[in-house]
Amino acid sequence: MSAGTRSEHYPVGIAGVSLREIERRVGPDEAPPLPPNAQLRTVGQSAPRVNGRAKVTGQARFTVDVTLPGMLHARLLRSPYPHARILSLDAGPAERHPGVRAVHLIDHAIGRAREIADPGPAAPTGRRMLYVGDPIAAVAAVTPQEAQAALDLIQVVYQPLPFVIDLEDARKADAPRVFERAVHSESFGEPAPQLPQHGNVHGPDLSASRGNAAAGLNAAEVLVEAEFRTQVQTHCCLEPHALVADWRDEGLTVYISTQFTAGIRAELAEAFGLPLSRVRVLVDAMGGGFGSKSRVGQYVLSAVELSRRAHAPVRLALDRHEEQIDSGHRPSTVQRIRLGARRDGTLTGVSIDAYGTAGVALGAGVGNFAQSIYECAHFALAQSDVFTHAGPGAPMRAPGNVPGAFAYEQIIDELAERLGMDPLALRERIDASPVRREERRAGAERIGWSRRRPPGSDPGTLKHGLGMAQSHWPALIQTNSACEVRILRDGSVEVRSSVQDIGTGVGTVLAQVVAEELGLAPEQIAVRIGDTDFAAGPPSYGSRTSASITPPARNAAYRALRQLIENAAPSLGAAPEALAARDGRICTADGRRSLSFREAAALLRTDEISVVASRSDDYGGFGHRMGDAAMARKGLGGVQFAEVAVDTETGRVLIERVVAVQDCGRPLNPRQIESQVHGGILQGISYALYEERILDAHTGRMLNPNLEQYKILRSRETPTIEVHVLEHYQGESATDAYGIAEPSIIATAPAVANAVYNAIGVRMRALPMNPAAILAALGRVPQPSGPP
Amino acid sequence: MNRFEWMTPDGIAHAARAATATVATAMISRSGLPATDAAVLKAGGIDLLDLMKEGLLSPHRLINLLSIPGLDRIEPQEGGLRIGPTVTLAQLAAHEAVRARFRALADAAGASASPQIRHLATLGGNLLQRPRCWYFRSRAHHCARKGGDTCFAFAGENQYHAIFDHRGCAIVHPSTCATALVAFGAVLEITGPTGARRAASLEAFLRLPETDLQRENDLLPGEIVTAIRIPAHPLTTRSIHLKQGEIDSFDWPIAEVAVALDLADGICRRASVVLGAAAPAPHRAAQAEAALSGRAIDEALLRTAARAALEGAAPLSRNAYKLPIFEALVRRAIRAAIEA
Amino acid sequence: MLKKIPPDSPRCAHRPAHDIVGPGAAPITLVVNGIARALSIVPATTLAEALREQLALTGTKVACDRGACSACTVWLDGAPVCACMVLAIDVGDREVTTIEGLAQNGPLHPVQSAFIAHDAIQCGFCTPGLIMSCAALLAHTPDPSESQVRAALGGHLCRCGTYPHVIAAVLDASRRGRSRP
Repeated sequence: MSAGTRSEHYPVGIAGVSLREIERRVGPDEAPPLPPNAQLRTVGQSAPRVNGRAKVTGQARFTVDVTLPGMLHARLLRSPYPHARILSLDAGPAERHPGVRAVHLIDHAIGRAREIADPGPAAPTGRRMLYVGDPIAAVAAVTPQEAQAALDLIQVVYQPLPFVIDLEDARKADAPRVFERAVHSESFGEPAPQLPQHGNVHGPDLSASRGNAAAGLNAAEVLVEAEFRTQVQTHCCLEPHALVADWRDEGLTVYISTQFTAGIRAELAEAFGLPLSRVRVLVDAMGGGFGSKSRVGQYVLSAVELSRRAHAPVRLALDRHEEQIDSGHRPSTVQRIRLGARRDGTLTGVSIDAYGTAGVALGAGVGNFAQSIYECAHFALAQSDVFTHAGPGAPMRAPGNVPGAFAYEQIIDELAERLGMDPLALRERIDASPVRREERRAGAERIGWSRRRPPGSDPGTLKHGLGMAQSHWPALIQTNSACEVRILRDGSVEVRSSVQDIGTGVGTVLAQVVAEELGLAPEQIAVRIGDTDFAAGPPSYGSRTSASITPPARNAAYRALRQLIENAAPSLGAAPEALAARDGRICTADGRRSLSFREAAALLRTDEISVVASRSDDYGGFGHRMGDAAMARKGLGGVQFAEVAVDTETGRVLIERVVAVQDCGRPLNPRQIESQVHGGILQGISYALYEERILDAHTGRMLNPNLEQYKILRSRETPTIEVHVLEHYQGESATDAYGIAEPSIIATAPAVANAVYNAIGVRMRALPMNPAAILAALGRVPQPSGPP
Repeated sequence: MNRFEWMTPDGIAHAARAATATVATAMISRSGLPATDAAVLKAGGIDLLDLMKEGLLSPHRLINLLSIPGLDRIEPQEGGLRIGPTVTLAQLAAHEAVRARFRALADAAGASASPQIRHLATLGGNLLQRPRCWYFRSRAHHCARKGGDTCFAFAGENQYHAIFDHRGCAIVHPSTCATALVAFGAVLEITGPTGARRAASLEAFLRLPETDLQRENDLLPGEIVTAIRIPAHPLTTRSIHLKQGEIDSFDWPIAEVAVALDLADGICRRASVVLGAAAPAPHRAAQAEAALSGRAIDEALLRTAARAALEGAAPLSRNAYKLPIFEALVRRAIRAAIEA
Repeated sequence: MLKKIPPDSPRCAHRPAHDIVGPGAAPITLVVNGIARALSIVPATTLAEALREQLALTGTKVACDRGACSACTVWLDGAPVCACMVLAIDVGDREVTTIEGLAQNGPLHPVQSAFIAHDAIQCGFCTPGLIMSCAALLAHTPDPSESQVRAALGGHLCRCGTYPHVIAAVLDASRRGRSRP
């Protein structure tokens, strides 16, 4: 790397606040430093979405819209019991049903915690079903109706077994066991040091602890302690989990609604013993994932297997009920927190004891937030996953951090009150982040923080309150992330990668970055993404897409342009170094000699220039590496303020206004960023006030597996939202861009909760804060006296 | 959804003769499986399609009332209104006379479901729709209302269930319009399979589980609601309907209140106070009505009346929170009616 | 006297040749985006299924299939309805307008342009339905208040949270509509 490196000066700091320059050594193929957005033509502008027209005219093709000739339709047979053993299964009548082309009996569960002594694939008879909705078999038929009819013909005899769905009950020593054997420990799907497992409790994981928390708490001058509870939230992607699998002798093609085409390709290649080169995964328009469409699930394997057997393409799309019970969810949690501080606010010790359940999966940990956001030398974190007989959780927008912040940012406020400090002043004391300092300042000014009154002091029945909370999110980068830029002889330009647009608009920012480099307009760049036949791009999760794919896109464009210029330079009688791309022309610095981009392209000796670039390491190095990914040295911040009104007679919480001040490195497309921040805030409010999966204690079934009784914020609950995005340059990559999806949801629920406290003077330590909860907290609910 | 025959009747009598079951009777079974030989009437079809998609109803034939002309009119009659059963909720909410004279009904219709559903859903269907109880709507729960032995709500998740009159079954009546119509003393015109007509007050037509555990009303197979009549009310009558859900955009009520007050010279001559989402049928708050009648309404009386409206309430394990909400809504509704 | 059908009350005046059809396939004619389309469907077919599967008009999305999310919003005689809660056979001679019919080969509808300009789009799955509702609102209420816009959108579920930009887009399209001669 040192050979051929060069020294460059990059802008760093917050535009308008602390902008300065830093020297970096970068590789020879890196594009030169990009100046701050104010000096750019395209990057930093709100270019309209490249697929906007397709999306507003109904022409955008989603996976559920894909139809192939001869395509079959598949449905899954699912367990009606939360815990049962299959005593016998006869699929014969289904196989003989007219219209049925293939039946697949599932012999090995995936998408859940894995037992260490996993016996491997097994016949259905004897298998234990671990939740209502656990897949048993799949049928492909000529119509969805025939597939459904065939499912009803599969004869299954179940032996129902005792089950447990409640987090507290599942922790008890005599609770029915979900797993008979220990499971592999993992963290965010990656292997982790093996943890103890007793009954249904896997953990505690103590690895994030540091210092001596007990001593720190003993040294405290002020102690606060509280327990917080959060509910299960389901993803509710509007487009269901769906795929069309097309198995042919020459290879497997899968159209799938996914957040990671390249990852699905790798998983399918491994599962079916195919070379990567024989698996192609495609997604055009993608109807929302929020974390739940990141990996291959049982429904995916089933559809591929059915296609292999039936020698025909197979479509499998979950219905809404299946979406609600078996496509993942945000785990519920119980968090007991003790916080010790000196009178000046300095934290002396923190102790967090957390349990959570992701049903039959791992991943309910919440500690990442508290571990990272504030300085405290003595920090103890014990977090355990509790297994229950419920569908598997899946990462959901800022997993762990959303419930973690709900608790931690409230107890920080509780501490502030005990200390007689303003919540902002306490955070000034304990938060080392200069970015959040600026965000607090800007946000407080915009919301009018000085209007904030003492808790519960609003005299009316409709009580107003102001609250705030902060977020922290690690800046993640997929180092295994590549992008191709092609300049064709007619002057057309294409950017190609397997990266997928899940609604964030990554195709648009790719066009902007390439256009900026080539001196063209974004609409002149053809964006071709979501196809593993192109260079393998990053996943769209972990808020890492822009940080991972825009630097290689810019570098590829830069190198392709160098080739174009070198080829055209003789015609202009100029040295290549003297030429640049500007306003659709290749020209000398003084502009006297120039060719149009198209004329320059026409001089090519071949039909095209093609350059593939992959993600370089951050110029200043990574914080640490994790396989194909890495964590930047600095995380992402964000501070949100909420203004609420609580109707103390009806228990309704009305969110009147939210101010969000966020950072995501260099903002590439402000309006698209604003869209994502709106989404984070609205999902956060919905989580705080309305959403809750309700399971029936008697049957283990979800009682609200729809979009009607599972309540989600809509238009009339949407408050006024003001989004302010800092330009925070760090000089780490060719674009210096980071993600925004997850940072924008983390602070919302605690900001609302802190505002509700400010309004009514009562702490809401459980979610959702619906009328029943608010009225109970206010002591307005009489004891029930009805009949049994 | 099961396959079915589609019948286009040539008139009321034809439709009535063809119907072999009501939706309710077609859903009752010992086995837990709905009847597959029923011919049932269909108006807007919203609830019907919902039940069929869930596999709770599997009719052999649908008889389409929408094809019968003349059932979709709103007409003045004897100082009141005569509303056809296939009038949509959107029509009702937008209708001048309804808004001017029977505002609580317009408000109730306009507060139901979503604009998209209100354009399809009919008033007749709205009154006759089945309850939204999630145990009733679950194929896995063979509850008492479907011919099983148990009401699962009593020992289960009853946060959205009844606080009054839940003997044997704790559903709340799903029709928001019914709450307003009961407040106005609406009367149904019903035609039977033999052509015989009867009139029934809506309040008497709707049944509590202690009378009939499996049907929310006394409609018989082959009977068709051919009109909903609102009797004349003094021009001094003011009405209001308030609904509270957990969300405003699209939600079933957790509490709703319709009041109609005849106010003259500062005196409430007659009061009608009806609670919805409170009981298996719209719940007339008789003691609140008695408290208000013949009195000049001031803040103190408002509070007395609101408390009286909850007389006899017996909340279940998870729905006592509805009590303070109802109390607030009753107060607010009366106040709003006075100020209307 | 011929009564004009009010735009907010889509009715069925349609009478098939036989008074009982089904349960097998039966011929019907749907007028979709101004064109009469003959198809053969079983009576249990919803309008959404007929549009998507028989007529390949996949711009109409199905997300909940129970009328609870309004992703499938189309117009019947100009009124927005959930296509998943209407049987195709029940449409009769009412005119169906889908997202594909809003700007057929012509310039975008002002609401469509405003959605692009305001980035009232994220994943886009709920977008066609939202646009049909917004365009219907402006057709009947050219100058809506913000609360009227919110009320008109109440049936829609957008999990990405585009509501602020959607509301801004509709109000902007309304302003532009008014400023036109």
